[in-house]
Amino acid sequence: MRPNEKTDWFFIVSLVLLVILGLINMYSASGSQKSLFTHQLVFVAIGIIVFLGAANFPLRLLEETAPFLYVFSLILLILTIFFGSGPAGRWLQIGPLNLQASEIAKFTLIVLSSRWLPALKRESITGGVSLFLFTSGILVVLTMLQPDLGTASSMLMLLFGMIYWAGFGFSWIFLFLSPIFAALSSIKFTSWIGFVVVLCWILYRSAAKPRKWVFFLVLTSVIAAATPAAWGLLRPYQQARLTTFLNPEADPYGAGWNVIQSSVAIGSGGIIGQGFLKGSQNELAFLPARHTDFVFSVWAEEWGFLGSLFLLSLYGILIWRILLGAKRSINPFNSMLGAGTAFFLMIHVIVNTGMTLGMMPVTGLPLPLITYGGSHLITEMLLLGFSYNTIRNWRSY
Amino acid sequence: MRSIPHFHNRPFRSVIMFMIFFFLLLVSKLIELQMVKGDYYRELSSKNHIRLIAKPAPRGIIRDRNGVVLADNAPAFTVSLVSVEFDSTNTMLLSDLLKMDIVELNSRLAAANNTPFRSTEIISGLTVQEAGRVADNLYRLGGVSVDVVPRRRYSFGTSFCHLIGYVGLADSTRVFEGELSGRTGLERILNDRLTGEYGLIREVVDAHGRVVEKFEEGDIEPSPGENITLTLDSRLQLVSDSLIRATGHQGAVVALNYETGEILVLSSVPGYDTNLFIGGISIKNWEAILNDPGKPLLNRSWATPYPPGSTYKIVSAAWLLEAGIVTENTMPDPCYRTFHFAGSDFRCWGTHGRQNIVGALTQSCDTYFYRTSMLGDMDEMAEFSRGYGMGAPVTDILPGEASGALPTRELLNTVFGQGGWGLGNLMIASIGQGEVLATPIQMAVTAAIIASGGSLPQLSVLKTDSYNDGNWNPGTSENTYRIIRQGMKLAVSSSVGTVHRSMGYLPVQVFAKSGTAENGDNEDHAWVNGYIQEPAPIAFAVIIENGGSGGSVAGPVAAGLIEAILESYHETQ
Repeated sequence: MRPNEKTDWFFIVSLVLLVILGLINMYSASGSQKSLFTHQLVFVAIGIIVFLGAANFPLRLLEETAPFLYVFSLILLILTIFFGSGPAGRWLQIGPLNLQASEIAKFTLIVLSSRWLPALKRESITGGVSLFLFTSGILVVLTMLQPDLGTASSMLMLLFGMIYWAGFGFSWIFLFLSPIFAALSSIKFTSWIGFVVVLCWILYRSAAKPRKWVFFLVLTSVIAAATPAAWGLLRPYQQARLTTFLNPEADPYGAGWNVIQSSVAIGSGGIIGQGFLKGSQNELAFLPARHTDFVFSVWAEEWGFLGSLFLLSLYGILIWRILLGAKRSINPFNSMLGAGTAFFLMIHVIVNTGMTLGMMPVTGLPLPLITYGGSHLITEMLLLGFSYNTIRNWRSY
Repeated sequence: MRSIPHFHNRPFRSVIMFMIFFFLLLVSKLIELQMVKGDYYRELSSKNHIRLIAKPAPRGIIRDRNGVVLADNAPAFTVSLVSVEFDSTNTMLLSDLLKMDIVELNSRLAAANNTPFRSTEIISGLTVQEAGRVADNLYRLGGVSVDVVPRRRYSFGTSFCHLIGYVGLADSTRVFEGELSGRTGLERILNDRLTGEYGLIREVVDAHGRVVEKFEEGDIEPSPGENITLTLDSRLQLVSDSLIRATGHQGAVVALNYETGEILVLSSVPGYDTNLFIGGISIKNWEAILNDPGKPLLNRSWATPYPPGSTYKIVSAAWLLEAGIVTENTMPDPCYRTFHFAGSDFRCWGTHGRQNIVGALTQSCDTYFYRTSMLGDMDEMAEFSRGYGMGAPVTDILPGEASGALPTRELLNTVFGQGGWGLGNLMIASIGQGEVLATPIQMAVTAAIIASGGSLPQLSVLKTDSYNDGNWNPGTSENTYRIIRQGMKLAVSSSVGTVHRSMGYLPVQVFAKSGTAENGDNEDHAWVNGYIQEPAPIAFAVIIENGGSGGSVAGPVAAGLIEAILESYHETQ
């Protein structure tokens, strides 16, 4: 299986630029802790080796290892729940290594769905999809129990992206998620009406049997009615405890302090930015978590609107090239693997930058290739290596 | 050649559109922040003085069962400071204005520097005049502010010191220095419910710390903590306190409703004024409390185990009946005041002759119990007593509740060594001496179980709407309850009963058992436990430390409590 395509320069150049920009930004964001920058340099070096390895790894072999990867991830996730360390108990310490098991779980989720979803689409087995959702759902639930609601919901989004790419269609996903939508929409009467309208439209379009109509309408109505009641039964401190448990980054007492500081930092960047190492919010350490969650704010403050646009465009180009490869790939596994990487990047970029802009809830999702940390960087380089592999081998099947 | 697997058209276009849609959303927000409002934010960041000020939430109010306020919040003035905005050359000035020692002030400034951008409390509990001196000089004290905050206030601090406890500075601050949390008692146990949600004010301030404008996103109002109603009756509690004080001894009174499980009185004398702890207790006051010979920090009603003496006989008598060692008509050999057994003298407090178990309870005859308990098994008696709430805490909420102790073979082997003890230990235990230890609340529970016939609900100090019945059923037969009740009734109404003289005059039937517990070389502890059925189903226990005779010292205290209960019911009808 020899590569049968020329080098994809769009892919390579945007990837290299992103890695370089990430290092430049880390130099600034690490402030007086320059050791963070040197650590990141080491991570990048490992990442490059991982990328090269993955780009030349036989994809058929990867497909075969899916079950082993699954068991491996399960073990790591369970170990993290019981022996997790670090600020939120999400790191697993093995010797000198601090591992984030949820990053490996994301990778596993992509490989797992790449292997099974096309097969299930091709020849449906009774209960096959349910079984798949159950096995992959365990990964999501274990991540949620760490507790890490942010990563768990990103895994859920990833999973549904994969289901969509495999050709299962939107209405199916919507119906599957309808209990969650029903619970969320019950906050406001208007949003609930909107949900019911969409639900009816999808049921109508999919020409559902009366039995199905009744099932979904009754189920979602009960959930929508019960959610506010159940929430109301909790005392305020219990509600606060629940939200803090599910999402420790929510900062219920600081009430958006981080996001406000982030908005100030981004806004003060203006069109051309305050200049490298000149961002006052960053350099004066006003920005919270500035080398991790809010790393985009550092970039936006120092390089302004133009710099931010440039960064987003690089991500856009990378995702476009990967998706193009996924579209072309003859082998369904290769296609799914590429699409999974594209979804992975998309979700992380949108959620992370959306958070720094105050458009998304505060979660711990990293900005790919830019945020400080080895686990996610190496996972991303691994995925990018495999997807570059699929781009070059699109003809193989 | 393998056939190319079928794979449908991939939704490339819609995924790309999806991405472009979200990226455009992000870019539009970037345009808003960086281009439209860029100058505003650059201005803000050049000063970076968005200041977050926490507004403390009023703590929940604690009331008694009748709505009498036991703990609430009074307004108090505080001086706070934002560390980065404070010019340290002003430290002397601030020290003068606050009349605070410069070393003390410096240590508080250092603490404030832990949250440099947030307002941190320097001193609280100031009067208007004290706060006014600082307020007049605010113009030259950048970063300093004077605020009104709620301050905890206890209505009957001394009387409820052990139950309600007090608040102090929190160990780990969530928002700002100066945050309060419950340190002892219910204030600590119910801290999550009593603490409200802090409010926040966001202000844009200039380099001198003066407020230029409110930040556009508005304030968050504090939401007060949950109010809590206790089952306790503050009037009965205060009456109990003064009754104990009148004896001139330390002591405790516990009363509870045995149909609902609600605890009405948890009195422990002496106490200390919890208001002294608000804002930090002075060393002088703290030493006064520590060195008080009455040991006010000691909580006598549920955290101190005592030998229960003859009040325990209502439990051991029930055991004798249930174990089949005696029946109602069993008459062991007479009481000659001293019972010689195995070379030792086991003494009774009187000469009671030959009597049955009702008579033995009425007159509290020790010899009856010596002669009968020796036929039983020590471990069985301990196990039986556990069913009556002894040997383990009886509530799940009272802080530091003592377990008490019951003699078992295992315990005695540990204490005296194998063979170092004998049947005498069982005989002594059957009259509530020796290795038996119990708290006043446990002795109230034993009376409550007999009163309720084994359907005492779970005890509570928090008022709720529903009670679960019969959580406390030792499985004793109704006939046994009847016999014990008869003995307790005659102890009050018979002219030879041990508490007849102190309680027999009461207009309602009282069921009681006195106890005069030997206590080493010290004066005996005076005990009484029992219950009334009218006007309300209330069980009680009284201990007067080193008070002497149970009937003549603890009895009048219990009688005074019952009089107060009668008055309450008289008033409400």
